[in-house]
Order: sequence, then C-alpha cells, then structure tokens
Amino acid sequence: MRVYRDDQKFLQFRINALIWGMAAVFVFLAGSFWFVQGVQAEKYRGLAEANSLRELKVPAKRGLIMDRNGKILADNQPAYSLVVDRVVMRPIVKRDPNHRQKLVSFLSGVLGLPPQEIEARFEKGKAIPSAKPLPLAEDLTMPQVAAIQAEAILFPELNVTPVQRRNYGYGTMAAHVMGFIGEVNDKDLAQYPDLEQGDLIGKRGVELMYDNYLRGKDGAEYWEYDSHGRRLEEYEPARKTAVAGDNVYLTIDFELQRRAEQYFIENEMVGAAVVIDPRNGEVLAMASSPAYNPNVYSKRFTPEVYKTILSNPFKLEINRAIQGLYSPGSVFKNVMALAGLMDGQITHSTTFSCGGSGTFFGRRFRCWKREGHGSVDIERSLKVSCDIFYYSTGAKLGVDKINEYSRKLTFGEISKIDLDGEKAGLVPSTKWRAENPVRGDTKWYPSETISVSIGQGPLLVTPLQVANMMAAIANGGKVLRPHVVRVIEKIGPDGKAKRLRVATETLHEVKLAPPALNAVRRGLWRVVNEVGGTGRNAQVEGLGISGKTGTVQVIRQVGWVKSSSLPFKHKDHAWFAAYGPADPGQTPSMVVVVFVEHGGGGGSDAAPLAKLLFESRFRDKVMSARLNLDNPETLEQIREGDLPLPTPTR
Amino acid sequence: MNIRERSLPTLDWNFIGTAIVIAAIGVVLIYSATWFTDPNLTVVKRQMIWVAVGIALLIAFLIVDYRILFDIAPILYGIGLLLLVYLLVWGQVTANVRSWIHIGAFQFQPSEFMKIFTALMLARYFESNDRAYLNFRSFITAMAIIGAPVGLIIIQPDFGTAASFFPLIAVAMFFGGIRPRVWAAMILAALISIPAGYFFFLKPYQRERIVIFLNPERDPLGSGYQVTQAKIAIGSGGIHGKGFKQGTQARLDFIPEHHTDFIFSVLGEEWGFIGVVIVLGLYLFLIIQALTFAKHARDRGGTFLVICLISFVIFHVIINVAMQIGVLPTTGIPLPLISYGGSSTLMFFIAVGLIANVDMRRFVNA
Repeated sequence: MRVYRDDQKFLQFRINALIWGMAAVFVFLAGSFWFVQGVQAEKYRGLAEANSLRELKVPAKRGLIMDRNGKILADNQPAYSLVVDRVVMRPIVKRDPNHRQKLVSFLSGVLGLPPQEIEARFEKGKAIPSAKPLPLAEDLTMPQVAAIQAEAILFPELNVTPVQRRNYGYGTMAAHVMGFIGEVNDKDLAQYPDLEQGDLIGKRGVELMYDNYLRGKDGAEYWEYDSHGRRLEEYEPARKTAVAGDNVYLTIDFELQRRAEQYFIENEMVGAAVVIDPRNGEVLAMASSPAYNPNVYSKRFTPEVYKTILSNPFKLEINRAIQGLYSPGSVFKNVMALAGLMDGQITHSTTFSCGGSGTFFGRRFRCWKREGHGSVDIERSLKVSCDIFYYSTGAKLGVDKINEYSRKLTFGEISKIDLDGEKAGLVPSTKWRAENPVRGDTKWYPSETISVSIGQGPLLVTPLQVANMMAAIANGGKVLRPHVVRVIEKIGPDGKAKRLRVATETLHEVKLAPPALNAVRRGLWRVVNEVGGTGRNAQVEGLGISGKTGTVQVIRQVGWVKSSSLPFKHKDHAWFAAYGPADPGQTPSMVVVVFVEHGGGGGSDAAPLAKLLFESRFRDKVMSARLNLDNPETLEQIREGDLPLPTPTR
Repeated sequence: MNIRERSLPTLDWNFIGTAIVIAAIGVVLIYSATWFTDPNLTVVKRQMIWVAVGIALLIAFLIVDYRILFDIAPILYGIGLLLLVYLLVWGQVTANVRSWIHIGAFQFQPSEFMKIFTALMLARYFESNDRAYLNFRSFITAMAIIGAPVGLIIIQPDFGTAASFFPLIAVAMFFGGIRPRVWAAMILAALISIPAGYFFFLKPYQRERIVIFLNPERDPLGSGYQVTQAKIAIGSGGIHGKGFKQGTQARLDFIPEHHTDFIFSVLGEEWGFIGVVIVLGLYLFLIIQALTFAKHARDRGGTFLVICLISFVIFHVIINVAMQIGVLPTTGIPLPLISYGGSSTLMFFIAVGLIANVDMRRFVNA
C-alpha cells in the first residue's frame, strides 16, 4: 500500500476549499435573512403587532366618601362589564366574514339591545386603540354573564371583566355636594396625561374637586399574547399594583342632611338649605332641591338620560346653595345693619321713626307694615323687619359703601368653598352701573339704593353667602372660608391611616365694637324668641336661636297683596337665616340658612326647617328641657311611648 | 520564550480585535434582551464579567507557547475526562442534565473546556501523523480521542453539547484525509442509520423537534413556537431594524432563551438586516483570518490546532444563525462570544487566544 505523505500543498488546498465554502455558506445565510427581513418583512411586522405584551388595566379603588362621622355615602360595588378584544376578533372575521354579524345578533339577544345600538357601541370604540379592550356593556346580570361565557368557544373575543362601580348608597342624598363621576373627555385627557379614554373621573362636586385624592393610581398587569390572540401568561415583574384612592370625610352630618332634604321632598319645595359651623366654616348640611341621582351618571350615559336631566324645568344639576342666585330680601337687613354700624352712620342707639312710609330722594317708599312701627332702634328694626329703618340707613351709606361692606361678608364674590361652580352673585355699585347701563343710562340713582337697602333691586346672593354672613355675626366678626371636606384619609401600603385635616381659613375680618355687635345679635334673638318677631316658627324649646326672615317679591306688586293666593311661579321666595345656641354667654355652633323658591313667607315656610335642624343637632338639650320628670304627665307620656328618652351624647 | 521581543510584533491585533468587538456587540444585545425583564441588569453585568475573565484567559493562552500545551495535552485531556466522570457520579441535575460543576456560587460546564483539551489532543496526534489519507488505525485513534468525551457527555445526557464535538470529527476526516470510496461508504451508512437512529436512538422530545423542524406550523405554541416567534422578531425588524431597545418581540418571553440561544433574533429585530450582515461579516472575517493563520502555521500541529478550534466557531455560528430562521432545527447551541453564558464565553476566548498564539509563533526561528 502506497502511503501519500502530506505536503503543505495538500493541506493548503483543503483550507482554501473551506474558506470558499465558508464564504458561500455565509452568503447563503445572509440571503435567507434577506428573504425574512426584506421580502417578508411586512408579513412579520403584522404578526409582531398582534404578538405582544398587552397591558390589562387594574383600576384603582376610588376612595370612599363619608359623612363627618364615617357613614359611607359613596363606595364601590363589584359589577361585571363586557368587553371585546378586537385583536382576537380580527383574524376570526378574516376567516369567517359573517362572524361579526353573528356576534352582533348574539349580543343583541343576550343584552336585549337593538343590533344598531351594538354597532353604535363598536363605532364609538374606534377611538380606543385596538390593542385595548372595547367596552360594550356594563352591569351585566348573572344570567347574562352565564350566557356569554357559555359561548366562549364561538366568540373568544368576548371577555367579562369584573369592575368597581361607583355606588351612592343613599341615592340623591347630598348629591350636589358629592357630585358624580363620568368618563374623561378630551379636556381631561389633555390635563392628565396618565388618563386614558374610558377612564372615570370626578365631574362635579367633591368627586371633581377632590378627584386627585379619590382617584388613586391604576395598576396594570402585563399579559403575553401570541400572534394567535391567545393569552399566554402574566409577565409578573412588570406588574404595577393599583393604589387605592384616599378616603374623604365630608363635614356633612348625615342626620342634618337627611332632615333638610326630607323637608324639601315632603313639602314638595324647591330651594336650598345650608348649615355651617360658625366656629370653623365646616358645612354641616347642604341641600339643594330637587336633586339628581348621581348613580345615573356612573352608568353608561345615553343621550336620552342626559336629555331627561337637562329638560327638567327645575334644573336638577344646579346646586342652589352655591349656584342659585336670588334676591336676599329682608335677610339683607343684617348686612345693612352691620354696614351702618361699621361705617358709623348709625350706632346701637340710633332710632328712626316709621309711619308706614317715607320719602327718600323725592320718592315715597312703603314699609311692609301699613300702620308703621313707630320709633325703631336697631334691635327692634331687626325683630319687626322695619323697612323704613333700613331705607334711612341705606340713604346715609350710599350704594358704594353698601357694596364695600357686603363684599367683606362675601357678597358679590365667591367664598371659595371647595365645590365647583360657586356663583359670586351681585352687589350693585356706581362702577357696576357704569359698566352695565340700563337702556344706555350709566348713572346709578340714589333712589335705587333705597331698594337695595331692603335686599331688593339688582342684588343677587346665594344661600351660602347668607350663611357666611350669619356665621360672621355668630362668631364675632370672622368671615370664614366654608368647606365641605373635613378630613382626607390616606391609607398607606402598611395599612396605616394618615389623616389630613382641612384647615380653617379666615377670608375677612369684620371689626365691630361689642355694643354694636351685641345690638345686632339681640335684635336677631328677638326675631325668634319674642312675641311679634317674624321668626317665631323657628323657636326651639330649651335652645336660644337668633335669626332673620326674608320674603322676596317675585313680581312687582301694587299695594299690599297676600302672596299665598298667587300662582306658584309668582309666589314670593322665602328666606330664613339663623344661628344658635344664642342665649347670652353661649358660643353659637350652628348657622342655618333655608331658602324656599316661591315658598310664600320666610317665617311660615323656611323657619320650620331651621327649627327642625336645630332640634336635631341639639336633640339632647332640647329633650332634657322638654322632659320635666317631676311632672306626672311627662312620665305618663314616656310610658305611653309618645316621648322618646334622651339618648346619650355621641 | 521572549514573547515581548520577538513574538508580540507578529501578533495579529485585527483578529483579537474582531473577537472583542463581537463580544461587545454581545453585551449590547444581552442588554437589549434583558433590560425589561431584569431591571437590575444582573445578566448583563455577569456577562461583562465573563467577557473580562475571557480576555484574561485569552492573554494567558496567548503567552504560553502552544507547543508546551501540546506537551501537557494528555494531562489536560485526562483531567477533563475525570471531571466528566465525576459529573456522571456526583453531578447535580440541572434541567434533567448533569453537565454542571458547582464551585461555591459558580458553576461551570466541564464539557466546554473539554472541547479545548480534545482539540489540543487531536492536533497533537495529527502533528505526528502526516499521511495524506488516514489509514484505518489512525482513523480509529482520532475517533477514539473524540469519542471518549462525547460518550461521557451523551450519558449525561446532553446531546446538544455532544453534537458540538461533531466539527472535530469533520476536521479529522476532511483534513486528516479520507479516500473518496470511504466517503461514499460513510454517506451510505449515514443514510441507513439516520432513520434507524430516529426511531431507536432519539428520545421522543428530540424526535418531535425534527418533525416540527420539518413543519413548524404544526404546533405554533409548542416546540415550533420558538422558531415561529424568532422569525416574527427577525422579520419585523426589516432592513433597518427597530433600533436599540426598541424591540418588542425579543425582549419579552415570546422567545424563550432570548438572551442565550436566540440572542441573534434580538439583533435581527433591533438592528435589522443591516445588523445581521455586519455581525455575519465579522464572524466570516474572524473565520477567514483564522484559516489564513492555519495555512501559515509553523508546524502541522499548529495548523490542526487552529482548524480544530475555528471549526467550533464555524459550527456554532452556522447552526445557531441558521436555526433562528428555521433553516436548521432548534438546538441548544449558543452563538460564540455573543450568547449569554460563562462556560461558552470563556471557551471561545481561550480558542481565540490559542489561534492567535499559533499565528504569533508562525516563524520557525522564533
């Protein structure tokens, strides 16, 4: 056998062959990649789009809204929503062109909606990126959930997802304070970049004003989907835990709020009531009647529902306590008294003589009492609500001084309550007239000042402003910023609660000598507690109340006419503004303002609610006054069950 | 040895530089593949350590004259075999395979280093066997040198690693020299044994892999899944790619092993066809340089050492790159210097060092 000895050439040849072979293999590989990345790139790009990690939102639990004692007014309830996954649906429709039609008719049957409505919802969802689920229906019933899940194989694109539905357990209760939530609009999206189409956000009231606290932070789960639309597994390292929103404790007292609202409902009255604590500006109750049901807004909002709300003649959405602009009537006499005293135009001992009418700036003005009140000082002027006294005071002050002092009591400006849409109202002045001429006339006539002096003319106030003014009288001159939220409760990840208390803020300070202030206070006390006072209907046994009635003419009347005989829309508006406890030496802790639209009379229609609210708040005190246990008749009443026993203080 | 005075000027910096550039690209790709799922970047940091250690080993294996390594090759080879035996008896089972040795917190695969030792052993054998064609005895000897570690690795059982010794067999046959009629006989034998092996020798999951390789659409969520997903990632990259960190497919778990065996799909997605061509070009450059070194080596042993070592690179690159787009079936073969992994990175740096070592000492009078 011959043995070939390898010379270098032999090996060199083989190495060269390998080099060329390598070059060929690499060119082949590059060519293969060219086929995938150049020729078929579009196909794979499409597959890649479908083939991805999808974010599934985990909505944050919205914070609770509670009354001042922790009674839950707004919470979240589990509900089921139907969403469609269009990424899964697309290839199915491609395979079966009738699939969409089948899906629509199936859903129409299950949901009990016309097919056009389903199509409309698909259409509306086009604004949502197709990788995100498209919401089709909310608040599914259990049979609906079962029916949809039974067809999961036929319609894999349908998903039933559990959601948290905002729930206002007491319906219309405190609706105007709490407000409501709704889907974000383009403006919200521009303001909050972390929100997405379809997210819910506070739209009115506390839900809007405290949305940043209540909303919390949505979490997310990341799920892998393959190009076949199949959910593979959760990608856990990327998971973001949802952070629940902070809880909000209102300053509202459930009991007072309930009573106030019930009064309006039972008497079928339109109007508002505001209860505030004059020591710190906390709003204890704020009712506006009629009210809307905020639960309606947190559901799918159809144009029909919206039309129904808008077409209500009583404008349900208006919070009359802060947005209703009304003529203050005699309630404004308090402001006039304070203005006159502050300016030094009158003192606590100044008297005017009332003969039923008086002539100011060449015109005769009537007092509401034809016979007149005789000699009237500030205390009596308030008690009997004498017009002549205030005509005289107003004539001395002039409209610009009235404007100046009213503003200190928040009239004509907003009092910066933590609610949206507060109206400033209007207190006229010569400057205002110059800017708002009447038929081209820019001059303010002094005789117009006389109307303003008894709360008429172009004056417009909100019930809240009246409450602010009464609070200032009650607390000795501090005009406080009213607020409806008391405490914000943040629950940390460790479960520990951190509470932020809303601070008391003084807007203005009204400087008044003690004798002057006491004269006003005594006058208001006499309104309620003395025979001949206009607010006797608010008298509460065992509790000193001070207040002022107001009755506002809606149409110009000639002569003295009884309002109750007029048709509803021409009936007078009724005011009653009060505070208590107001006996000497007591610190008032509650201001009540009641306004009834076309109510008739302040004393007869508004004052009883104030009485009710005072009784409710100071129940124990009132009870102990009523229960004279030495009286055998009282004991008999208790035994019969007519008189409830006083409950211990909370 | 006088490296500094005589050998260093002849060191080919381009060759080593190419290897380091490839490794750097690897670190970038591993970062792209893992930053999302591994925010602490532990994987990238670890790979950087491996690269640094690899460069140190490269220098070490450059300094020692490869002829000295030939002298001690039987000892190294013997130690390697003992480690493999040790693994079989005491090794811990990782993913059903006993291929790792744990030393403290570190673990390494002796089979990777065994590739170097086997290459040294084989080159040493061919140094003294300079026949143009292998005779039966020398063929059996060469096969025995390769067969001993392969046999031990197959028992582990780690077929992927065992298969990666295949380039040595090819080198022995092609460069050792086999007559045309023997080639013909072997091809015939292979044609008969492949179906036989398929039915009697392969485990079910391996059989499945071959079936799915032939028809990947058959099981898009199963074994064909990786290839399908890798192709989607690569294809969606297009010509220009999606850009650094812009890949959506590869960084996620659509592609299992996206930072090890399927790292090339990250390249394809983020850097597109252009990136693919550049990296393939770098590999080709590295391979051609090495083969040129082989031609100019001082002795037959040096030539064979370079060929043996570069054959590993060739084999890994072709198999790995081809499987990304389904040209070859999916195997656990990493991409040299780029795939994440300590043992593999170190092994290839040593190989690069040894190849440069042979080239540096190409002048007979050195």
